[in-house]
This record gives sequence, structure tokens and C-alpha cells, in this order.
Amino acid sequence: MSKSGILIAVEGMDGSGKSTQAKLLYHWLRAKGLPVYHTEWNSSKIVKQATKLGKNEQRLSPITFHLIHAADFADRWAKQIEPVLKIGGIVICDRYKYTAMARDGSRGVPLDKIEKTYSFAREPDLTIYFDVPVDVSYERIAKGRPNLKFYEAGMDMNWSQDIFESYRIFQSKVSEIYNLLVREQRIERLDATGTVPEVQKRTRVLFENKIDLSEIFVIDHADRLAENLSKSDIDWLSYRQGVE
Amino acid sequence: MKYPGKLIVIEGPDQVGRSLHARLLSARLEAHGVATHNIGLARSKLMGELLKSHTSDIHQLNWRTRALLYATDLHDQINNDIQPLLNAGFVIIADRYDITPTIREKVRGGDSKWIRELYSDVPVPDSVLILHCGPRRLLNRIMFGEKLETLNHFESGMDLALSTSITSSFLSYQKLMRNEFEIMGSELGAIMIPTRGTVETVHDDIWNQIQPIIGDLCQPIN
Repeated sequence: MSKSGILIAVEGMDGSGKSTQAKLLYHWLRAKGLPVYHTEWNSSKIVKQATKLGKNEQRLSPITFHLIHAADFADRWAKQIEPVLKIGGIVICDRYKYTAMARDGSRGVPLDKIEKTYSFAREPDLTIYFDVPVDVSYERIAKGRPNLKFYEAGMDMNWSQDIFESYRIFQSKVSEIYNLLVREQRIERLDATGTVPEVQKRTRVLFENKIDLSEIFVIDHADRLAENLSKSDIDWLSYRQGVE
Repeated sequence: MKYPGKLIVIEGPDQVGRSLHARLLSARLEAHGVATHNIGLARSKLMGELLKSHTSDIHQLNWRTRALLYATDLHDQINNDIQPLLNAGFVIIADRYDITPTIREKVRGGDSKWIRELYSDVPVPDSVLILHCGPRRLLNRIMFGEKLETLNHFESGMDLALSTSITSSFLSYQKLMRNEFEIMGSELGAIMIPTRGTVETVHDDIWNQIQPIIGDLCQPIN
């Protein structure tokens, strides 16, 4: 029982579509009746306040940026990820320690220091790296978000005074570190160009090749209906219209 | 790394007199023409407010998250205050630095090696002084101090389930902490300052101990 549960991480640049795909993966597994949990980067309530202040006041340095995001992750690790793994569930992490390596590493924090900080976070059973060319993700972000945020664009690093240029420089550094992780076979590259359904199809193929769900306990249908109703709580597989 | 300034760390448990002696030291240095700046835990602009106003939430976090939040707090002070002031030639007096945030998690089962890695890049103090006294004396100071404090759940280590009595728990917890102060202190070459004596004798002890570091900076009063 040294390694229980299934840990899945999704990684990729802003605009790679990874969050959309991670949610679809989550709803798919839920629809199958599997115990699955979804958690997002930088979402721990207590830590978020400080991060927000640091970002608003542009006060974060590469090292405090690194530590504060690790604090967020450590809190979610203890409260969300570890308990679900312990009971043999599936956890989908929208961004994992590789995001810290890519972002903090781009800001000059040594990779071995980042590894040490995150040494408690085990390697996932599968990490999908949603890979799109920098130009494509840049296009998606630039279209969808005319106002890039200061840290998102790496403006704290003074690479360029032009925010879009700074963002492009930052993303290419991030992409280099992801590529290194792919070469080290720590993350699985997935071609994330194309439409959402196309990418989801590829995602499922990769998932089914790598992950064995046979050991995972399926939640009883009645139990699932007893939960608060949301999209995936109805077992669409066995659902028949008009049957009471 | 060498700086024109000096970094003096005063460590020790709550109520041992740390803040008082940090203040006295600072006042005496200023009287001798030495610019000082005081820092401490939970005093950064980034984290101070959160750490102080959500104490009970923070105490309920797992040790790793808490250690990271305190490391963020110190690093924010290093980036914005300590580093530039050390470069300018200030004497920084730190009312606690990396020892307390490390050992209080260690006694709670935290991995102290991992925590110390978080602090591996902080400026190395020129002097570390650990104020100490026995747990009973500490309890005495808490109960009969001017502030009429009561025992604090976390500072008594009640979360360690050492005893159902907060008093017994406090005494056992402070004993554990004193032991850890000695261990980490000796690794860092810290000077142990007993606080049995009067405020003046303790202050003189501190002043004499740091002479090798600040002697050259001080200018005569007369």
C-alpha cells in the first residue's frame, strides 16, 4: 500500500486548453461512477489572499512567488490530494509541481531547489503535457484576454517593457523547461492543436493506454444519486428515458 | 556573502524576553550612532497581516503549509528590507529568524531537513543569540507578566496531545522546544543566553557577546 490511488496531472501553457480537457476527463470518469477529485493550482483559500496581495502590489520576487505557490500546493496536498489517494480514488490536478518548475525555473529559481521544495509530491501516474506551439497559445490568450496580467506576462523580470513581448519571452522559457521534462520522460507530450473534441479523443486514448482502472472501486449508483445533483451525477450509461 | 551591515538574531520561546532585549539592544546601538532595523516573524508586508489575523487557521494547517507561509514571510522581508539595509550598513536585529519556524514544526513531526532547505539561501546571521530559561520560570512570566496573559493552545503544544492539562502540556512542550533550541543552536554556533538574572544583567550579557561584531561600528556617546 505504498502507492495507493491514481494521480493524474495536466500541464501546459496558458491557452493550451488543458483546463478544459482536465474537466472533461473529470466528468467522463465521474460518469463511469469512479471516485474522482479535481483540484486546481493556486486555489487554496487561506493562501490565495496573500498571493492576491502580492500580485496586486507587484511585491512578489521569484523566491516568494515560488514559496507562496508551494504553500498553496502543500495545503491542497494535505487536504484534498492525499486523502483521496489514500482511499484509492483518482485525483486530477490542473497543474502540478511541473508548473512550478516551468514558471519558477524560468524566473531563475534553480530546478533542484524547486524539486526539494516539492519533494513531498510524488510523481503522478500520468502527467499529460498539452503541447501547442507557443504561437498558437499566444494567439488564444491574446485574443481572449486583451489585458495580460503582470506576473502572467513575466513583467516582474524586466525581459521587455512591452507586455506582449514579455509574455512571449516568458512562454518560450516555460516551453523549454516542459520540453526538458518530456525528454526526461516525466511528462507525456500530447498534441493539443485542433478542436476540443479532437484533443479529448487523444486524451482518452493516452489515458486508457497508461492507466489501469480495474483496481479502482466504483461508487454504487444509488450512492451517486444521493449526492448533490450536478451534471455528472446521473449515470448516463444506464439511463433510460421515461423510466421512473 | 559579506555585507557592510550586520545581522543579529535573537531567538527563544515566547515570554522569554526576546522582544524586550531586541528593543534594548536596538536603543543602545542607536545611542552609539549605529542605525538599526528590527525584523521578526509575521512582519512582512506580504504575509504579516494574514499570519497575524488568521492565527487559529494557520495553527490548523499542516506543518508543511505553515512552514512555507513563514518562509515566504521571511523571504519577503529579506528581499525588501534585510538585503538592502545590510548593503547600506544597518545592523538588523531579528526577533526570531529561522530557528523557531523550524523547530516548532519538528516537535510536531515535521521534517526539519526539508524546512531548513527553504531557508538555505537566506543571509547568514553574524550572531545568533538564544534566550532561554526553564519551563516553570517561563510559565511564571506568562502568568505574572504585565499583560496578564493566558496560556495559548498552540504555544502550549496542546495539538501534540501531550497532556489533557494545558499547564502540564505547556511544561512538557517548552521542555521539548528548549531541547530543540539547543540542538539547532549548537549546529548554527549560537550563543545560549540564560535569562535568570535581571533585565540589566541579561542585556549586558547580550551586549558583551556581540562586541566582536559591532565593536568597530559603535561611536562613543561622550
